[in-house]
Amino acid sequence: MDLFHNLILGMSVALSLQNLLYALVGCMVGTLIGVLPGIGPVATIAMLLPITFHLPPTASLIMLAGIYYGAQYGGSTTSILVNLPGEASSVVTCIDGYQMARQGRAGAALTISALGSFFAGTVGTIVIVLFAEPLTRMAQKFGPADYCSLMALGLVAAVVLANGSVLKAIAMVFLGLLFGLVGTDVNTGAQRFTFDIPELSDGIDFAPIAMGLFGIAEIVVNLERKMSRSGAIKVTSLWPTREEARRAWPAVIRGTLLGGILGVLPGGGPTLGAFSAYTLEKKISRTPERFGKGAVEGVAAPEAANNAAAQTSFIPMLTLGIPSNAVMALMVGAMIIQGIQPGPEVMTKKPDLFWGLIASMWIGNLMLVVINLPMIGMWIKLLTVPYRFLSPAILLFCAIGAYSLQNSTFHVLQVAGFGVLGYIFVRLGCEGAPFLLGLVLGPQMEEYFRRAMLLSRGNPGVFIERPISLGLLITTAILLVLMALPNIKRAREQAFQEEET
Amino acid sequence: MSRFLSKDFLAGVMFIAFGLGALYLGRHLAPGTSVRMGPGWVPHALSYIMLVLGGIVSVIALFTGGEQVEAPKWKPITMVTIGIVAFALLLESTGMFPALVALVLIASLGGDEFKLWEVVANIVVLTILCILVFKVGLSMNIAVLNGVW
Repeated sequence: MDLFHNLILGMSVALSLQNLLYALVGCMVGTLIGVLPGIGPVATIAMLLPITFHLPPTASLIMLAGIYYGAQYGGSTTSILVNLPGEASSVVTCIDGYQMARQGRAGAALTISALGSFFAGTVGTIVIVLFAEPLTRMAQKFGPADYCSLMALGLVAAVVLANGSVLKAIAMVFLGLLFGLVGTDVNTGAQRFTFDIPELSDGIDFAPIAMGLFGIAEIVVNLERKMSRSGAIKVTSLWPTREEARRAWPAVIRGTLLGGILGVLPGGGPTLGAFSAYTLEKKISRTPERFGKGAVEGVAAPEAANNAAAQTSFIPMLTLGIPSNAVMALMVGAMIIQGIQPGPEVMTKKPDLFWGLIASMWIGNLMLVVINLPMIGMWIKLLTVPYRFLSPAILLFCAIGAYSLQNSTFHVLQVAGFGVLGYIFVRLGCEGAPFLLGLVLGPQMEEYFRRAMLLSRGNPGVFIERPISLGLLITTAILLVLMALPNIKRAREQAFQEEET
Repeated sequence: MSRFLSKDFLAGVMFIAFGLGALYLGRHLAPGTSVRMGPGWVPHALSYIMLVLGGIVSVIALFTGGEQVEAPKWKPITMVTIGIVAFALLLESTGMFPALVALVLIASLGGDEFKLWEVVANIVVLTILCILVFKVGLSMNIAVLNGVW
C-alpha cells in the first residue's frame, strides 16, 4: 500500500495552513488572469518567479501550479459570458458556450464547465499518482546517452505540436539551446558569451527572458490593436436541466480521457486537448448540426479536456524533469531557483514536495469550483477594467520582479532587451515556446551529451547502441518523417487555422 | 523586392545572424576533441546548425513567397522599452517611487488613449500596491524614495 501511504503524506503536506493559503492565492491569481484577456499563465508565472524565491519550495510550486490550472477555469468564464477567450485553451468554449449564454443558459454552461473541469482535474490527479512511480523507476535506469535522446525527443515533439512552420520552430529550439550556453562552462570553467558581466557568469537567468518574451511582447502586441469588448450577459439560474446534464456527462468523460492522454505528450497541453475534444464530440454526435448553436457537449468536452491536460502535463516534468510546454519549462525554472534539480530524484529525495504538490492539485481544483461558481459576478466586474490600466501594472510587476532576483538592474534591462526580441519573434511568426524549452533543457542536454561522448571515448555510436536511446531516437525520427508527409502536414495546418479564427 | 519582406525570409536572416554572431563571439573557445570536448565544441556545432537552418528557411521563403511581414507600429514597442530602461536607471539612484512614475507614465504614452487623471490614479494605486506587496509583504530591500524611506 505504498501508494496509499504516499497519498496520505501528500495530503498532510498540502493541508498545512501555509500550503492551503498559497494554493488559494495561486487559484485566485490564476482565475484572475484567466478572466483577463491579454495576460496568460506563462507571462504571469514568469512575473511571479522572482517572488517564489522568498517562499519555501513546496509552497511556491503549489502556488504556481494553482495559477496554471486556475487559468483554465477563469478562461472558460469569459468565453461563455462575453465570447472572449481569456486563454488560448478556452477558444473553443466560446463557440457553443456563448451561444448557450445567449439562449439564457449561461448559468448552466458555467456549472457544467466548472463541474466538468473538477471531474477532469480529479481524474488527472489520480493519473499522475498512478504513473509517477513506474515512470520514475524507469527513468532511474537512464544513462547520459539515454537522457540526451529523451530530451531530443521532447524537444522535437514540442516542435511538431507547435503552431506554424516546423522548420522555424526547430530553428527556435536551437536558438534557445544557443542562449542556454551563456555562462561558465561546467567542465572547464571557461566563460562563454558572458561579456565579462558578472550576472551572466552563472548562466543566463531565464525569468527575465520569459518575462520579456511572453509578458512584454504580449503587452506590446495588445497595445497595437484596439481591444473591443461586448457586454456581459446576466447569469440567472446555475442549474442545468436534466436533459443538459444527460448530454454533458458522457462528453465530460470523453473529454477527460482525450485531454489526459494529449496532456502527457510533449508539446501537448490544454489547448490541443480542448480542440481535439471539440472535434471528437462533433464527429461522434448524432446531431452535429447543433454544434455552434449552443450544444452542451461543445462546452463540456473541451472544458474537461483542457483541465485534464493541464494536470497530466505535469507528469513528464515531475518524473523525468522534461517540460512539455512553456508553463512546465517555467516550473522547472522555479525548482532550479529553489535549488532542486528536476528529474527522477525529486520523488525519492523530496517526497513531501512531490506528493504534496500532487495532493494540492486536487485541493486546488476543489477550491476553484467554489471560487468560480458563487463569485462569478465579481470576476465579471473585473472585465470592465480597461487594458490601459492593466498594461502599466503588468510592466511594473515585471520590472520589480526582475530586479528582485538578485537586486540588480541588469536583469531589468534584460527584460527590456528580450521584450524587443520577443516582439521581433512575434512579427516574424516565430514561436516563443520552443525557444524557452531549448533554453531550459540546453545546459543539461550539453552536459549529458558531453558525458556520453566521454564515456564512449568519442564514439557517437553510443546513442544508437543503447536500446533505450535507440528507441527514443527512432521515435524522434518517426515524428519528423510524419511531419513531412503531405497528408498530415495539411491536417496539421488545418487544425491550427481553426485555432486562429 | 517584396519577397525579401516575407516573415520566413526575415526569420531565416535572423537565424543566420545569430549563428554568425555566436561564431564570432565564441571564436576564442577551444573546441577540443570529440572525446574531451572543450568549451567551444557545442557552441560551434550549434552555430553551424543555426546557419544551415537559417539558410534553408530563407531560401525556401525566396522561392515560395509566403506571408508578408506586417508593418510594425513603432510607438508601443518604443515607449514600453524606454519605460523599462528608465525604470532600471532610476531605481537604484532615486528609489522605487520615481522609477514607478516614469515607467507608468512613459508606458501609458504608448497606448492610444491617454488621459492624465487616469494615469495619475493608476500611479497612486500602483504605488500603494507595490509598497504593500514588496516592502511590507515580502520585506524587500528597496528604498521607496532614496534617503527618505
